[in-house]
Amino acid sequence: MKSFRNVNPRDVRHAVTLMQQARGAGQDATIAGGGSDVLGMMKERLITPDVLVNLKAIKGLDEVKAENGPGRGVAIGGLITLDALSTHPLIRRQYGVLAEAAADVATPQIRNVATLAGNVCQRPWCWYYRNGFKCYKNGGDTCYSFAGENQFHAIFGGGPSYIVHPSDTAPALVALDATFRIVGPAGERVVPAAEFFTLPRVNAAHENILKDDEALASITLPASSAGMRSTYHKIMDREAWTHAVVSAAVVLHMNKDVCSRAAIVLGGVAPIPWRVPEAEKLLVGKRITPDIAAQAGEAAVAGARPLAKNAYKVPLTQAMVRRTIEALVATA
Amino acid sequence: MEEAGKTVNMSRKISRRRFIKRTGAAVGVATAAPAVRAQRAQRSATGGRPFDRRTRIALTVNGAAHEIAVEDRWTLAELLRDHLNLTGTKIGCDRGECGACTVLVDGKPVYSCSQLAVWADGKSVQTVEGLTGQVGDGLPASARADLMRASASPLSALQQSFINHDAPQCGFCTSGQLMSATALLAVNAHPSADEARAAMTGNICRCSNYNHYVAATVAASQRSTQNSQNSQNRQNQNVSADSAISALNVVGDTRSQNASAGSAISALHVVGHATPRIDAEQRVSGKAIYTADVKLPGMLYARVLRSPHPHARIKRIDDSKARALPGVKAIITHETCRVVWGAGSIAGGQQYNDEMKRITKQRRYAFNNPVRFAGEPVAAVAAVDRHVAEDALQLIAVDYEILPHVLDQEEAMKPDAVKIWPDGNVSLNNRNEAQPISQRRGDVDAGFKSADHVFEDRFTTAFVHNAQMEPRSAVAHWEGDKLTVYTPTGGIANCRSDIARDLEMPPEKVRVVCQYMGGNFGNKNQNQDADLIAAVLAKEAGAPVKLELSRNEDFIGVHGRWPTTQYYKVGLKDDGTLTAIQLRGYSGMGPYRKNTGAIGGVDVYQCPNTETVVYPVYTNKTVSGNFRGPEYPQGFFGMQSMMDEVAFRMKMDPVDFILKNMTRKFRDETPYTSYSLDECIRRGMEAFDWKKKWHSAGAGQGPIKRGSGVAFLSFRAGLGRSNAVIRLDASGKYTVHVGVTDVGAGAKTTMALIAAEALGVPLSKIEVVWGDTDRCPYSVGESGSRTTIMTGDAVVAAAQDLKNQIAEKGLPRGNDVLLASASPNPQLEGKVRNTFGAHFAEVEVDAELGRVRVMKYVAVHDCGRVINPLTAMSQIKGGALMGIGMALHEDLLYDPRSGVALNAGYYGDRVLTHRDAPEIDVIFIESDDGYGPFGAKSMGEASKIPAVAAVANAIFNATGRRMKDLPITRDKILSGFEARNSGLEVQR
Repeated sequence: MKSFRNVNPRDVRHAVTLMQQARGAGQDATIAGGGSDVLGMMKERLITPDVLVNLKAIKGLDEVKAENGPGRGVAIGGLITLDALSTHPLIRRQYGVLAEAAADVATPQIRNVATLAGNVCQRPWCWYYRNGFKCYKNGGDTCYSFAGENQFHAIFGGGPSYIVHPSDTAPALVALDATFRIVGPAGERVVPAAEFFTLPRVNAAHENILKDDEALASITLPASSAGMRSTYHKIMDREAWTHAVVSAAVVLHMNKDVCSRAAIVLGGVAPIPWRVPEAEKLLVGKRITPDIAAQAGEAAVAGARPLAKNAYKVPLTQAMVRRTIEALVATA
Repeated sequence: MEEAGKTVNMSRKISRRRFIKRTGAAVGVATAAPAVRAQRAQRSATGGRPFDRRTRIALTVNGAAHEIAVEDRWTLAELLRDHLNLTGTKIGCDRGECGACTVLVDGKPVYSCSQLAVWADGKSVQTVEGLTGQVGDGLPASARADLMRASASPLSALQQSFINHDAPQCGFCTSGQLMSATALLAVNAHPSADEARAAMTGNICRCSNYNHYVAATVAASQRSTQNSQNSQNRQNQNVSADSAISALNVVGDTRSQNASAGSAISALHVVGHATPRIDAEQRVSGKAIYTADVKLPGMLYARVLRSPHPHARIKRIDDSKARALPGVKAIITHETCRVVWGAGSIAGGQQYNDEMKRITKQRRYAFNNPVRFAGEPVAAVAAVDRHVAEDALQLIAVDYEILPHVLDQEEAMKPDAVKIWPDGNVSLNNRNEAQPISQRRGDVDAGFKSADHVFEDRFTTAFVHNAQMEPRSAVAHWEGDKLTVYTPTGGIANCRSDIARDLEMPPEKVRVVCQYMGGNFGNKNQNQDADLIAAVLAKEAGAPVKLELSRNEDFIGVHGRWPTTQYYKVGLKDDGTLTAIQLRGYSGMGPYRKNTGAIGGVDVYQCPNTETVVYPVYTNKTVSGNFRGPEYPQGFFGMQSMMDEVAFRMKMDPVDFILKNMTRKFRDETPYTSYSLDECIRRGMEAFDWKKKWHSAGAGQGPIKRGSGVAFLSFRAGLGRSNAVIRLDASGKYTVHVGVTDVGAGAKTTMALIAAEALGVPLSKIEVVWGDTDRCPYSVGESGSRTTIMTGDAVVAAAQDLKNQIAEKGLPRGNDVLLASASPNPQLEGKVRNTFGAHFAEVEVDAELGRVRVMKYVAVHDCGRVINPLTAMSQIKGGALMGIGMALHEDLLYDPRSGVALNAGYYGDRVLTHRDAPEIDVIFIESDDGYGPFGAKSMGEASKIPAVAAVANAIFNATGRRMKDLPITRDKILSGFEARNSGLEVQR
């Protein structure tokens, strides 16, 4: 790693200030949550910060708090570890999709340090990017996967970059209609999860709307209701420690056995968590039969545009969506 | 696949490899490789003060408070290893991919390589050293009490259980496994096997002893009350065979069976009893010293700059800025270091020696110009610490003239392919002829003419990396004109003579030391370029130099199993009798011929007419070399997939086909010293329940399909000679000097058992001196699955010499010693000595999700007499699991245009984790053919060889679709999709 200075902020605002100060002095600054991935990228010199802002120094931003008043949902500190999140009783009980997604990330050692905010803001794991090819993500102006080894790349929303978003928790958060609290030098802003992530055609270099001197501080989930059920299914290339080849976060609001609202968000298939509204619509107002689930699977892949080597993701996604819905309905 | 005469081509779809060829050819010359690691240098110059600002931190490590000033860029692992001398924590990948560095921080397992030391300020850290004696303060009190209960032993109950189950093989991952398991037991005193797998799944074991790690962890809590008893046994240095055997029972293994194919074998008093390793305590306590743990006064740290291009001429290297960086002590390049790395390129690819040095003309240097693969060394730096060395690499400017490259072995055979060497791309043999490896028996043309059926097909196998847990490393130290090299080698003697030959020194001026080694798996019975680079840098700098390769460098800079393309043609009669087998193969050697590139598998069939022609072909991929059964796992995959398909076409049960056509004499002519293939297959069928499980291919309804596959084994170990010396002093201690290093298979313990048996004394009387050329006689080295046979034979002979001396002179008294030695040269008297086996696999294939799981696995092996059933079990299970990984996952994938490997490392290469590893049921069929030490045969390589084909054949049985290209990944399982969904627009 290039020589750098570790700084310990008091709170997120202070972290933002420290980044601003560094940049003002002509230095490059990066924030680290759990740090596993950031250190890996620093070792590869994909990023070479002069200042590393260690968010782990911040106290109290790792909790799950019920918002005041009934029906107000919960606020989750961005620095909660994935292990703590996946084992949190309230999250497991009411927001299963998020607990399951967090539990599916990497390995116990990583989940013990990795943070929710860090997972959401994780840089792509495209092998061209990670190997230092001068691609869109690396300050260049091409995507090597398009004509290269693209078996793990996007079938939706690609172009000009074809990365897939690497986060497991992000599809869950989008499916839960979470909101993100972002802290910057000018103060805070709150955005819906779905608006946090950006397609490459909007900005090919970044995966989200965070500016260089902003940080994702906390995430709020709307209140869950009695009829809400959710789950996360992830396909991996071995049984642990890979990013999603394809994943599905599914949230169903059931009124007796009729679906009143549905959210289906896919991971591993697009540069952002990929919501499939046509599939959702098929479920709403219906009793979910195997046939309906199959139709939703078909609708989920409508419009897919695979690359030369990832066409297998299309039937995979289709089957996965169908099965995830079936599994969720079966838990009733 | 069709019968010849109708259609011969079998690959309708464009395979990945073909795609690479096309694009590679199209853009070869024009494309500049992108910035890979080495080239990033120029972009991100060091911000570099060499001696960095330090931050004072306070932390507790294993209960002891430390206050220390750390550089902000030190990782926690670095702090523990380099500055607190707690080297039990290992670095396997430095990227949070393998788990060897796992420690507990405030009681929770974390990757210490992926945390900064400054972040540990105020924390409590527990390492493997903290499990022994003083028990971890990071744990909850209840867990601490559990561990303290083991106070009769310095080891925790878990450590003891690891020993009893032979969980550590090479031991390099063991500390990490222990820490993860310790954390689990602290919160879950009685975990299930699945809970143990989940808790340890972030800990890779490339020896693949996953079954034993899980069993040991599950048993640890149950056994804690028995622990003091067990440790007492161990402390007495007695054969704690009882505890070990009970451990095996816990594992649920089929114990060693004395039912034999020929002669029933007689019981012995030490050999044949399950015995924990004599150095097991070192392996579970962090005390075992591996190469990277060696630290010498004034030692410098080295790093290597590698080519980002697969083929390029170096026009200029400017290292002036690097030399100016404070702390840099030496820099070498192809201009300043003209050392030949002889073992790196050998005409014919056999073991390097003086004769081969004379013959080989396609020479490889430590640094070459042109560079011929992405990852080839370009320069090396020694500096005061590892960070300064790394910073210096960033300051070396290299001007490359990029040359066209070729990656695929068949593509490289085309007349218009770029010539990697002036002689062309067919690698030269040991007569410097560009000839294939050929073997002919009978008349294949006549064989095909007399056939009722002729089948043809094509199979391909991938570049698979050894991926041993310990990255290559070397510590070189000059004292006057004497060079000591600490290095992970399986052959200290050959490594020494190679280093001496390359540096043009007398061998006695070179000492090679390897006390513990984190896995071998091939190509370590010689020197490495790392040894030479460290030695030259140390000479230049006038100080000891440690060179540690990163995981990425180990993948792209060293070697892996050669990828192959195999064309088969098989003729047979209506009754299924073979009349001819023809193999035309191409092996991708990378740009140097380190090993043969052969493809083995034809010989295990009884067939009067065979022809094998294999071209070892130069490519611009990473160099290929030996990897566990060098030419066989890939050859057996092709050959036994082919024969499985032939059996299917002939409407025969594959087992019946095997029984009809398998070898009974070597090449139908030479008798084996003993033979047990029928027995292996019969026992395997019974244990697997083959008759019930096997069904017609693809018969299952629905998306979840089960299928069963079989492959068999006949394998001949390498030959060679070894010596042994035994010293007896008046205290009654027998010191056995053998030139083994114990790569993980347990050679040290095996030699001790053989010595104890041959001398008729308890194991506790034996001490072994190993792994040091100044203290050990020549051994052929741990390669070719021959350590037990060759070095073990020498131990038996030396023991006989000693017994003769005792008979003649009596036992030594006072200061006297008796010294016995032997250099036997065993002969086989016109026979061939093979080991035999059969593997049966049942898989579950989810045809919609493309998921393949191995549900049941039976491995039957006749390895002659089993010297130590405990370690033998680990060898067989590990080999089978490695084979499963090769079948389903592993493939170092190259970007066709840039020629750069994309997925180096444990994450990218999808090496099996705990959660991927099924239970392997092992059955030993023992025999004593009168050769080898007590009838022992080879074992280590054999266990991997049939596994790949067994799994592939099971997938065929499940799906009805023949998988012809390794690895059998999800996209291949799901392929055929385009046909079902025509009209889908694919972006090109």
